[in-house]
Amino acid sequence: MKERHGRARISSLDVEGLTYRSASLWQITWRRFFRRKSALVGLGILAVLVFIALTAHWIAPYDPYKPLIGIENVQRREKPCIHLLGCPKDRPQHIMGIDGNVRDQFSRLLYGARLSLVIGISTVSFAIIIGTILGAVSGYFGGWVDNVIMRFMDVLLAFPSLLLAITIVTVLGPGLINALIAISIVSIPAYARVVRAGVLSVREMDYVAASRALGGSHFHLIFQRILPNALTPLVVQGTLGIATAILESAALSFLGLGAQPPTPEWGSMLGAERNQVFTAPHLVFFPGFAIMLTVLAFNLLGDGLRDALDPRLAHISE
Amino acid sequence: MNRKLLALLATSLLVLSLVLAACAQPTATPTPEQPAATEIPETPEPPAVTEMPTPTQAPAEETPPPKVPIATYDGRSLSVPDCDYGGYIKSIEATDDYTVTFTLCKPDPAFEVKLAFGVFSIYPKEWIEATTGPTTRTSEGLEKPVGTGPYILQEWRRGESVVLVKNPNYWNQELIKNAPETLVFRWSTESAARLLELQAGTIDGFDNVGPEDFEVVKNDPNLQLVIRPALNVFYIGMTNTYPPFDNIKVRQAIAMGIDRQRIVDTFYPPGSEVASHFTPCAIPNGCAGEPWYEFNPEAARALLAEAGYPNGFKTKLYYRDVVRGYLPQVANVAQDIQAQLKENLNIEAEIVVMESGAFLEASASGKLDGFHLLGWTGDYPHITNFLDYHFGKETQQFGKIPPEIYEPLIEGGQIADVEKAAPVYERANNAIREFVPMVPVAHGASAAAYRADVVNPQASPLGNERFVFSKGGDRDTFIFMQNAEPISLFCADETDGETLRVCEQITEALFAFKINSTELEPALAESCEPNANLTQWVCTLRRGVKFHDGSDFTAEDVVATFNMGLNPGSPTHVGNTNLWEYYDYLWGLMWK
Repeated sequence: MKERHGRARISSLDVEGLTYRSASLWQITWRRFFRRKSALVGLGILAVLVFIALTAHWIAPYDPYKPLIGIENVQRREKPCIHLLGCPKDRPQHIMGIDGNVRDQFSRLLYGARLSLVIGISTVSFAIIIGTILGAVSGYFGGWVDNVIMRFMDVLLAFPSLLLAITIVTVLGPGLINALIAISIVSIPAYARVVRAGVLSVREMDYVAASRALGGSHFHLIFQRILPNALTPLVVQGTLGIATAILESAALSFLGLGAQPPTPEWGSMLGAERNQVFTAPHLVFFPGFAIMLTVLAFNLLGDGLRDALDPRLAHISE
Repeated sequence: MNRKLLALLATSLLVLSLVLAACAQPTATPTPEQPAATEIPETPEPPAVTEMPTPTQAPAEETPPPKVPIATYDGRSLSVPDCDYGGYIKSIEATDDYTVTFTLCKPDPAFEVKLAFGVFSIYPKEWIEATTGPTTRTSEGLEKPVGTGPYILQEWRRGESVVLVKNPNYWNQELIKNAPETLVFRWSTESAARLLELQAGTIDGFDNVGPEDFEVVKNDPNLQLVIRPALNVFYIGMTNTYPPFDNIKVRQAIAMGIDRQRIVDTFYPPGSEVASHFTPCAIPNGCAGEPWYEFNPEAARALLAEAGYPNGFKTKLYYRDVVRGYLPQVANVAQDIQAQLKENLNIEAEIVVMESGAFLEASASGKLDGFHLLGWTGDYPHITNFLDYHFGKETQQFGKIPPEIYEPLIEGGQIADVEKAAPVYERANNAIREFVPMVPVAHGASAAAYRADVVNPQASPLGNERFVFSKGGDRDTFIFMQNAEPISLFCADETDGETLRVCEQITEALFAFKINSTELEPALAESCEPNANLTQWVCTLRRGVKFHDGSDFTAEDVVATFNMGLNPGSPTHVGNTNLWEYYDYLWGLMWK
């Protein structure tokens, strides 16, 4: 673990006449990252998703909330109609078909990307902030503070995360915001643990001791000296955590505890049409595929980041 | 050392508080003033939950005094001193062991059909007394009913199935000769799952075929489809004690602003129709009076603006995610209504899905402050069953029912002749149209599916299939799959159709309906003879009938059963919900 703390900067050295080009750790990391094809695929998918999420209201051909009854001559749960693939030109084009409430499935799916990314990023951000503070305080002070915080985290970890999330949503009442809160709470312990481990290994380093000797306050020591050097694993954990958060929110919405209709959330779209898996498979396939793709993207990205950031794996990737 | 001890102490305190918090959740959520639903206030008799004050409801003008039981019961007769309490029954008397005389306060044209309703099934007197618990029936009473029916309860595997076995001592040996030995009820909320089971041959039949599966079943040579006539109604309810629904113009605007034809065309199976009145037209006088408002969004918006809501308002749309014949695709219909409210009237309704039992209780007691989606399947084919239950004077579901609606209902309930009652029900229907306590949307056709070799496949218009008549090939076990698990098996105090269907195989009432029909046939009573003005009915009971516990069926059991249901002063007047909704609405509980 200790190698990692040389991350601050490898300055330009002149040893026995040889000049080493200086490269920051981030530069090395990016170089390693870009060598991994799977990570690039993840990044690519994610870029497309972010683009869709940002431009959904321009690229979606229909209003995701408005039933097309009486507006277009389409049937409920109609199969996809793509002109390029031979669907008659006089039929309105719906590339992912029509849902159970006569709405364009494709438009709903595009808006769903926005929601999924927001869910993933906001829950993980919240969990990281709380988890980092708890982990840092716990690791820095040690003793009974550490004991209390980490045992509390152990209690949270003792419950299966989805079950705990369901419990929290049941208490708070179903709804997207409450589901976000629930998922955040459930993911806090993972981050707290990672940060605590990082802090524990850094706090005894000489530069921290030097800072302390110079009279640095606890706040200064934690946030200026220790945390910046203990955050690397958090980046990986956070990226992978987004995937988990998206899955969990989809599961909650599938169960009717997350996003409420008519919100175009992938999990609730899947849940609403689960009965039609044989009669209208496209209504189940596309949201399911979208969830899979997003989770895959974050997982690939997370794996790539982990490999790139972990010096022990350096020889494998280089 | 001390520090370690302190840490240990703090940790254990934290864990303890977490555990306590987790355990305390259910009681922590309700508002402090609101009593829990199952809690019974300390009064000698168990009063209906509907009497409880509700803090969220608009304040009542005056608090009614507590009700006092007025009936006397001596084992052979049940009577009230006078008819001022507003109910139907003056006395029920066991004239001899096999004769019961019902004396009514007012003529009841639907007397016999009411008696045929499964809720009024007869239980043995001793069993009624033995299963009386302090606040509800004992678990024996709730889960192991004893009746005279063709099937005996063998086992209720919670969450899985109810298993019934043939009653070897059933009074109609001819009927039971060919019946399957074992009858099993299973359930699944998903129509696709039910169809899969039937296709796989693991069940013999199921109820409520999904509208999209009608064709699948029809085209499968191994299956048969039985269409159930639309003897039901789906409506959008509003409680007029909550603003803005207290404004009649708002309700009228909503009545005009929803395209009901679109809902029926899009979400209902073939054979369903848009409701022109609350009661289906197949029921005599159901469609007397003017038909419902035409869809007219412009007029609706104008009316809403006139009521003071030119920009609409925000509210909630409550429903339970339960499939019924009147509402086969509840989530889709709810979303369509939500979209229509937004589009036509700019009303933003947030969808709230509730647990079925909680939803029924909240809607029945008028505690829902937004729209609620509910429906009704006829229990007996008489207009009183549709209108009196929903728009009677005491009904709280839609807030306060105006006298313009309930007065004709009281009058019509005393006229046996359909022709003579027509103008009265015309007044009632027109008043419902004017005051809009709810918006009737559809009469939904539904269907049951069976394996092709099932004889007498049933889809009763009243939802009370009698499986003693059905048999699948030469199989000894008949397995029927319905939408939901029974709530309890003490059906005297239940309203849920899935619950009643199971009970009706085990217990019997004085009359029964012929299969797939609304026509009456004698069951525990051989006949009931009325006097000239329909106020006294002398019922001759069937002899030689034995209950499942071996005791003889006599007139005293009939009186004891009605005493249990009608007499709030009786110690045996405890059930499951303690609302006794059907006893209350169809006969009137005996208290003032």
